[in-house]
Amino acid sequence: MRLLVPFLAATLGLQAQAPRPSEVQERRLANGARLLLVERRGLSAFHAALVFPGGRAEEPAAAAGATDLLARALYGATRPEDLDQGKGQAALEALLKQEEGLLEAVRLERLLLRRDPAAPSQLPALEANLESVQSQLRAQAALSPLGDLYLSRGGRQWAVASSDALTAHVELPQEAFEFWCRTEAQRLRNATLGRFAQARADFAAELRAKGDKGPALLYGAALPGHPYGRDLADHLPALEALRWSELRAHARRVLRPDRLTIILVGGFSMEAALPLLERHLGSLPTPPASETAVLPEIPADLGDRRVQAAAGESARLLMGWRICARSHPDHLALRMAAQLLGGGQSSRLQSRLQRQKGLVTKVALGLDLPGGRLPGLLVADLEPAPGHSLAEVEGALQGEILRLQQDPIPQEEWQRALAQLESEQLRDQDVPGTLADSLGLACAEGGDWRLAELEPQRLRALAPEAVQAAARAWLKPTHRATVLLEPTPGTSLDPLDAELSRVLQALAASRIQDPAQREHLVAEAIRQLRMLNSEERRRTLKLLAAQLPPEKR
Amino acid sequence: MRTYLLLGAMAAVSLQAQVQPQPKTQVFTLPNGLRVLLLEDHEHPLVRARLHLEIEAQDVPAGRQGLPQLALRMFACSDAGSLKAEELERFQEDAGIQLESWAAPGGLDWRLSVRSRDQDRALGLLADRILRSLFDPGMLEEQREACWQEEERRGDDALLRLRQGLNQAPEARPTFASLGAITWEELLGFRARVFRPDRALLVLHGDLGLEQAKRLVLLSLGSWTPQESRSGASTLESPARPQPQPAPAKPWPLWITTEAGAGGRVQAVAPRPAAVLPESAALLDLLVPGEPSLFPARAAAEPGCLVATEDARAGSDPALSRLLARLEAMRLRGFAQADLDRARAAWNAGRSLETLHPEARMDHTLQEALGRGVTPERMKTLSLERLNADLRLWLEPANLRTGGLRKAGSAEGPPVP
Repeated sequence: MRLLVPFLAATLGLQAQAPRPSEVQERRLANGARLLLVERRGLSAFHAALVFPGGRAEEPAAAAGATDLLARALYGATRPEDLDQGKGQAALEALLKQEEGLLEAVRLERLLLRRDPAAPSQLPALEANLESVQSQLRAQAALSPLGDLYLSRGGRQWAVASSDALTAHVELPQEAFEFWCRTEAQRLRNATLGRFAQARADFAAELRAKGDKGPALLYGAALPGHPYGRDLADHLPALEALRWSELRAHARRVLRPDRLTIILVGGFSMEAALPLLERHLGSLPTPPASETAVLPEIPADLGDRRVQAAAGESARLLMGWRICARSHPDHLALRMAAQLLGGGQSSRLQSRLQRQKGLVTKVALGLDLPGGRLPGLLVADLEPAPGHSLAEVEGALQGEILRLQQDPIPQEEWQRALAQLESEQLRDQDVPGTLADSLGLACAEGGDWRLAELEPQRLRALAPEAVQAAARAWLKPTHRATVLLEPTPGTSLDPLDAELSRVLQALAASRIQDPAQREHLVAEAIRQLRMLNSEERRRTLKLLAAQLPPEKR
Repeated sequence: MRTYLLLGAMAAVSLQAQVQPQPKTQVFTLPNGLRVLLLEDHEHPLVRARLHLEIEAQDVPAGRQGLPQLALRMFACSDAGSLKAEELERFQEDAGIQLESWAAPGGLDWRLSVRSRDQDRALGLLADRILRSLFDPGMLEEQREACWQEEERRGDDALLRLRQGLNQAPEARPTFASLGAITWEELLGFRARVFRPDRALLVLHGDLGLEQAKRLVLLSLGSWTPQESRSGASTLESPARPQPQPAPAKPWPLWITTEAGAGGRVQAVAPRPAAVLPESAALLDLLVPGEPSLFPARAAAEPGCLVATEDARAGSDPALSRLLARLEAMRLRGFAQADLDRARAAWNAGRSLETLHPEARMDHTLQEALGRGVTPERMKTLSLERLNADLRLWLEPANLRTGGLRKAGSAEGPPVP
């Protein structure tokens, strides 16, 4: 009997650690919507995600940015007026149509004025009309601080637009489940987009203010002509010309129930949830099938492409390799390769390039960028340490890739990478929101939620040789694109650089007349001085400053 | 139709019936004074831990802003006991342990998550970091530089820089001078003062029972005793160390210049004053962001502050004035009883969302233990007068930090890089 106790304890312990059978239950609603439900008895709230695959990659060029606009205008808030089923809805739509016409008229008038500023203009009158319609729209809105229906029930919502999907998340107390089913069905039926104008203006302003140009340059260079390579900032005129009715038509095309995956993680069973879901979301009509978007294919071995640019405040190297889509058999091996290279502090790039050689100050590695449903990129993003050039960093990174392809992977390193991926999966499962995210991503990228469960098991069966073979097949120069970013002169925040720049400018001003030549000379000098360590740069600054007249020091 | 209704009603009843109460917080204290709060949850074989160390105002001497951040960096890069820093990292990653440290206003936090089978190893590792880290004077300059670069967030976009500038009080914001002025002795003094078990709180969450937790914490952190302050240690002079400079008298508005194509924007950030009741703060976090009278400005509740933002395409100075005027009008007007009732109902309903977020639950437990949590009892008795008084205090013009993004070459005001 005594022996039985430790045996039982050991068995129970093992059970707790072993991978559990799938928690996910799958059903199809009458209209074709797919339901994935994870029952967690201890929860008194639920997390729901609506996943519409397609995303930015399926946007026609004329509707570039539509997924992001839907995330904001349709799923940014839940106002009663957007869910009205009666006459109120017709009145709201009439106002929105008026607003649409006026927005377009104002846009065209501004374009005319830009071409001929002296031309007689109707702009003030149009703007006044627009303001009048918009104030009527505001008057229709709930005028209370807690007008949002989810917020007033203790919930929250957000939506994410990605290259592969539009995902709308909601968290609410369990009692509000039926309310959520009804609300989401009504939202899709109406697709009112009541805050279209504000959402479009906000999104355009964000795109204009976007600071980090590196990834967009890399995607453009690596995936030319492909929707994954599109930079929305280049499509601002199209975005600003996109009309409310066009976005609505786009919503009806892409937010179809037969493409929808509903993911629920909560304290309820399938038996409890299914009737309510069938009654509301399952009753949404399925429009006739539309043409499937045909996306261009880019050969992975398109050739080595390089871009050199001045942007940002510090030098940066971005290197991307065109890799396979998530559903490809090699993808898992590439995921492991990414983990070995850049996953965690003791990964190869962190430990060798950053700590041992001191070549870089920042390392980041990303897989499936900007998406994973179609062939995307594996991207290494590195920032050189002061005194080290981009060329040095590039050479060192290539060296690490070669080492991964050729040298056997030590068992200890392999096990570490595996343990990290397993722990990551466990953490994802533990939090309902991240679990819903990983299931949604598996659906949108791989076409099957089971990938989220199967991949960790397949990882355990993977051999190091398979990772090396995949690295040899995909991480090669013909698949590569490189972006070398030099800091824009004069924008560095390093106080020493700023001071050096000031002194050099002052020195150059007295000797060189041509401002462009002066600018170039100062930028080159700053670049050269970055090769020195801080102390040497400080000494150089003193020497240079000593050449200035006292009032300019 | 009847069948649907019946099914719906049954489902609703069933949805209500299945909710299980969350386990209560279990509390124990080690002989060295370390308080431990345990939240048992056996859903997954995972354990989370959060170690919180309180920092008081007098722990950071004037002109030494950035001392807590620098101390954290020194912990992260130091050898501990017989293990080199790199070995420690490998040891941590071998078991897939996630360990992160944060310097937040008022405290330092270590957050740990680990598979439950590796909990001993993970807590041991945390103890190595806190108790046995050997600060190396040779690392100080490097870490000082890294700390400064992190503070400056080189490469981040203008909006982030603006937020960073507005989020910190000028007197608490690390500067090149304040980081440069921190001496080796001060660093050791800070460690001795702050890193004490009686100033720490440990929250555990996940797949471990009370007895197991007691054993685990006693084995790993039971030997933690306050360090002797090494006031006699030699001061290491760093080369060309600048002297601390006093913060500018009126640092607001803070203007950040952006590229010519980017749109202008103005912002007002109101840090939560200590005198505002946590219950009022929780309700104002719900009420202010949805307040229609702020339109076209938008407000958001962020940890420890309220943020209002407005586009400023036609000029930032008038936009900032308009934004401040709207905030002031709302502050003076206050909210109505109906608003308070709705917000209270929303807060009560929203409490269940904590079950979806283990970290939020741990945070709530921690705040409660520190006496800064919201309690349902106090929430029930919060009056409208108190709510509006707290609103007036919070949005007091003198408490607002303002700033914005201005296009490069803008003729308005002096742009501050």
